[in-house]
Parts: sequence; structure tokens; C-alpha cells
Amino acid sequence: MLNMMLNPIILGQVVVNGLSLSSIYVLVAMGFTLLFGIMRVVNFAHGEFAMLGGFALLFLYGQLKLPFFVAVLLAAAIVAVGGLVLERLVFRWFYQKMFQSMIGLLGLSIALTYSAVLIWDVHARSIPPAFTAILRVGGLILPLDRLVVFGVSIVVLVLFYLLIRHTRMGLAMRATAQDLEIAEVQGINSTRIYQLAFVVAIFMTALAGGLYGQVYSLSPFMGEVPLLKAFIVVILGGMGSIPGAAIGGLILGMSESFLATFFGSAVSNFASFGVVILLLIVRPWGLMGTPE
Amino acid sequence: MRQVLRSALVAAAVVIAGAVWLAGMAGAAEILQIGGIGSLSGGGTAWGLAIQRGAEIAIDEVNAKGGLKVGNETYTVKLIMYDDAYSGQGGTTAATRLITEDKVRFIVGPIGSAPVLGTVAVTTPAKVLLMSDGYAPTILKNDAKSPYNFRVTNTTNEFMPAAVKWMRQHFPDKNRVGILSTNDATGQSVLPLMKKFYEEAGFKVTFQEFFERGTQEFTPLLTRMLASGIDIYEVDGNSPGDAALLVKQIRQLGFTGAVIQIGGPSIEEIIAVAGPLADGFLSYDMFDFGASAARQFIQAYHKKYGEGIINGQTPAFYNGTKILLEAIRRAGSLDTAKVRDTLEHMEGYDAGLYGPLVWGGMKNYGVNHQLLLPFFITEVRDGKTQPLIQLRPNKE
Repeated sequence: MLNMMLNPIILGQVVVNGLSLSSIYVLVAMGFTLLFGIMRVVNFAHGEFAMLGGFALLFLYGQLKLPFFVAVLLAAAIVAVGGLVLERLVFRWFYQKMFQSMIGLLGLSIALTYSAVLIWDVHARSIPPAFTAILRVGGLILPLDRLVVFGVSIVVLVLFYLLIRHTRMGLAMRATAQDLEIAEVQGINSTRIYQLAFVVAIFMTALAGGLYGQVYSLSPFMGEVPLLKAFIVVILGGMGSIPGAAIGGLILGMSESFLATFFGSAVSNFASFGVVILLLIVRPWGLMGTPE
Repeated sequence: MRQVLRSALVAAAVVIAGAVWLAGMAGAAEILQIGGIGSLSGGGTAWGLAIQRGAEIAIDEVNAKGGLKVGNETYTVKLIMYDDAYSGQGGTTAATRLITEDKVRFIVGPIGSAPVLGTVAVTTPAKVLLMSDGYAPTILKNDAKSPYNFRVTNTTNEFMPAAVKWMRQHFPDKNRVGILSTNDATGQSVLPLMKKFYEEAGFKVTFQEFFERGTQEFTPLLTRMLASGIDIYEVDGNSPGDAALLVKQIRQLGFTGAVIQIGGPSIEEIIAVAGPLADGFLSYDMFDFGASAARQFIQAYHKKYGEGIINGQTPAFYNGTKILLEAIRRAGSLDTAKVRDTLEHMEGYDAGLYGPLVWGGMKNYGVNHQLLLPFFITEVRDGKTQPLIQLRPNKE
């Protein structure tokens, strides 16, 4: 079996599968790591914002038939702006309170999931595919919808990096993350910065959720897996680190693809969590994070 | 004088309240509580709601006709439903609560080997009658010989022989089968059975593997399976969400062979998720929603629950609940031993959706508590289901 699989086509397909997986994981992890990096909030309701992004895209693209990329951006924007209500009612109580935020936002996660059950029922459905073509390049198979996710995650990663590193808003966010009191003394309105960071984080999460719901499936329970993957990615890369989320997503996606293909899913799961445990022992701040 | 007037008013109020209470008592029917257990949270919620909704429609029908007459009493039937969280412990807890707190003597559900086995561990010693659905043979085949446990849908042992026989005729040139199952009690008990039946029909199972329930990215595992060179991919009894992604992703990887799910029906969800990639997909199907006999049931469902997808387990639990209520009526008693004895001798009763009732299971489980339902092989064509053939399990 192993010999049969060690041919260039299958190895190439494993790399393609790995890159496709990595791009989804990076996209899902970005919002999660931003909220933690700036506000020290562990957002257990992360997956549910992704789910809401999925249902918003279903409405705008599947029912209102808006052009796909308009619908994707608008869906994420609606969830991000609408999420400000939850920011005021729930999140604001947990800023800079890492442990309390875990329990509080776990409650929010359950409330959002079962509100969605009441509204949309439980069954899985799909956002109508925008790209159904399957490209074949030298024996490799590239579903176009996966390529779109890959492209979107690269664009989001670059734009997000530019926002954080090369804008005054990004500078204010970094200052607030590094030392809240000093930042406020310098005239930064931390409440406003938190709101901005919240909107950006939820926008990316809802965007990821829309694409995730289209590539996989959409249901009120779809948030569980994105949350788990986001957690692994940011622990690998370092909580709060943007380059860390990119590297963590790449490592997780590629390792899952290689291990599950060659050794099966049990070994893949075992190894994913094994690496996380090992990393937490030898370098608890992650590959690109900084020690507290 | 005011004192006398006040006393008279108080006395009048007491008399009126008493009269109203007595009138209410005289007009109210007794309540018969039926317990329901199913997954009402997590990924198995579609199945839990199928149990609840199927049972509720059956109960509504009985109540609309004036209630359930048991001996000299007429009962209004009421369902009390608890969540098992699709786990063995959840099944045990729900059954314990229904029996000790709510004092129910009859339970419908759950679905899934783990929760059913957890439930049976409580209901059998308590002599509570259970109408459940889990694929593990040990649900019926056990030392106690399942004295109070009936299974209301076909399992692998019932539908596989007829289904693989049809497949052998339908795919004379295809031989190599791949199967992926969930790494839990259901998958581990069903996969060896499926392999046995496929190989008895002349196929060769060349790839088999387990995955964790809730997985969404199957591409690496499917790449591994396709590298082994299969002709037929058997989706097995995976939950609707998992099955839909498996079908979508194997087609995205360019597999052009046959994709079939004999292990369990998820056909509506697969069409909803896989879209055009579901075309040509074949499935064991529990029920023909296009049949004329289904019309009244479908109307009742949509009226009560809106225009959503009707899970294939819903009519099965409607059927199971109607059979149970009819058995209670015929027994003229709420004694579970008498109801069980009546149930065992109800062959020929038609609950409306599946035709005359047939029990089986003696050969495989040592007890005739397995309901044998006709079933279909259905194909997806242009996003619609098309029943190809109706098959029946062997009575054995």
C-alpha cells in the first residue's frame, strides 16, 4: 500500500490537499488570535460567529443571488457590525480576563448555537457552490472552490498584516495589546480600539465561516470544528501572533494531509494533539509567540 | 352585618371554586405519558428530532380521535422527550429519569448503538418497553433475550443481504469495495458485518478504515482509499452530515466509480450538501416520500413543523409509535408484559406507511423483536431522488 502511494501524482495531490487545508485553517484562526492578542479574550464562541457568517452568505448569495464576492464581503460585514451588540452586552465584561472569558463565551457559544437551531433547524445544508469546476493539472486534481479559499486566505493574510504593521490603527492596536495603561496615557481610546479589533476579528471569522460553509456544509453545529482547529493553530503558532497563525495553519494542514493519507486518520489526530502537547511543554508560548 | 356578608362571599367563592375544580376533573381524560429519548444536541440532533416529531405526529392522530382507549379508561397521550447527547451515558441518564421521576412504562428511541445500549441497561431490569433503533446486534442479542426491547427499523443484518444481491446484479463488472466507518460503537460493530455481506455476494473489500465522528475534511483519507484502486465506495451508516461531505469530497477528487450508501439513509442531506456532485449516488432508503401512502403523513409533518427536510427516521418512529399505541389499546392494559405479548402477535397490523407488520430476528438475535420493513434502493438524478427498486428483508 505504501509503495503504491509513493508516486509523484499522489505525493503532489497530498501537497495540494495540505495547502488547501492550511488555507482554511489560517483563515479560521486569524480572528481568534487577534481577539486574544489585543483583548486577552479566549473566544469560545468563535465557531458560532463563523456559523453566522455561513448563514448570512446563504441568505445573500443563495437567496438574494448577489454576486458571489459582494455577498461574501457583505455577509462578513453584517455579522461583524451586528456582533457589536454582543461586544457591548457580553465581550466587554471579559476584556483582559482570560479565564473568565472562557466560561462566559462558552455560554455565549451554546446560546448562539441553539438560537440558530430554533431559527434554521438542525439539518446540514450547503451554500450553493459558486465554483464547481475541477481543474486537472498533470494528473493533479484541483477543485476550484478550494483554490478560491486559498486565494482569499492569502489576500486576507496580506491585508491584515498591512493593517496591523503599516497603519495608525494597527499601531494603536499593538500599543494597546502591549501595555493598556501606557497606551491610554498616550491618548489612545482603548474602548474604541477594542471595538475596532472586535469588528476586524469577527469580520475575518465570518468570512472564513462563509467559505467554510460552502466548501464543507452549513448547520448550527458547524462551529465546533473551526473552533478546535483555530485553537490548535494558535497554540502552535503562539497565542496572539499573526505570523504564528499562518505558520501554525500551514503546519497543521500539511501534517494532517500527509499523516492521514499515509497512516490513517487515527494517527493524524494522535500526532496533531501530540505535537501540541509537546509544544506546550517545551515552548508554551508557541513557535512565534512571546513569553509572558 | 358586614361580617356575615363577608363570610357568605367567602363561602360562595369556595363553593364555586370547588364546583369548577370538580367539573374540570370530570371532563379531563387521564394522561398516559410516553417517554422519548434521542439526541437533541450536537451532530445527532436531526435523529433526535426525527424520533420526537415522528412520535408526536402519531400521538396527535390518536389524541385527535378522542384519545387512547385502554380497557375502560381513555387516555390523552403525552410525549416526554429527553436528550441523550448521542452517548451511552446520556441514554442511561435519560432512561433513568423517565422511569424514576416521570414513571413512564413505554419509551420510543433512541437512535444509535451507544445510546440504545445505555438505555437498554436501565429499561430491561425495570421491565419498561422500548421501541429503539441502533445497528449493534447486541441490542437484541443478549443473555436476557431482550424481553422488553423491540427494534423499529432494519439494520445491516436485515437489509444487506437483499441490497448486495441487487448490487451484484447491477454492477457485474465492479468488484473492489472501499468502506470508511466512524470510530465508535456503531462503526466498529457495523463495518465487519458489511464486509461479510459484501464478500458473500462476491465483492472484495480492499480498503476499510475508521475516522472520528465530526470530521469534515476527508480528502486525505479518501486520497488514501482511491490509491488502493476501488470500483465502489460504500458510504456506510455514517451520520447525514459526515456522509454528505464524503460523497462531495470523493467526487471532487475525481472518483468516477459507484458511490452507494447501503449502511443507512442520508439521501436528502447528501443532495443538499453535495449539490450536482450527488448525481448518480445510490442509497438504501427507508421510505419513499413520493408514495401516495406518504401524502397524509407529509402534510401533517409540514403543517406542524414547517417546510424543512423530513429525515428518513421520522416515518420509522411514527410507525413504531403507532404500533406501540395500538398494542397498548389491544392489550387493554398498561402492564408492559401484556403489551409486549400483544406486540409479538400483531403481525398483519398496518400502521399506514409500510404495509402489514412483520417481525423477524430469531435467527440473528434469538428473539423475534426485529421489525422487518420494506426498503428501497434510490438513485439521485438531477438533484431528485428516484426509487429504483423496492426490496424486502428475509423473514428469519
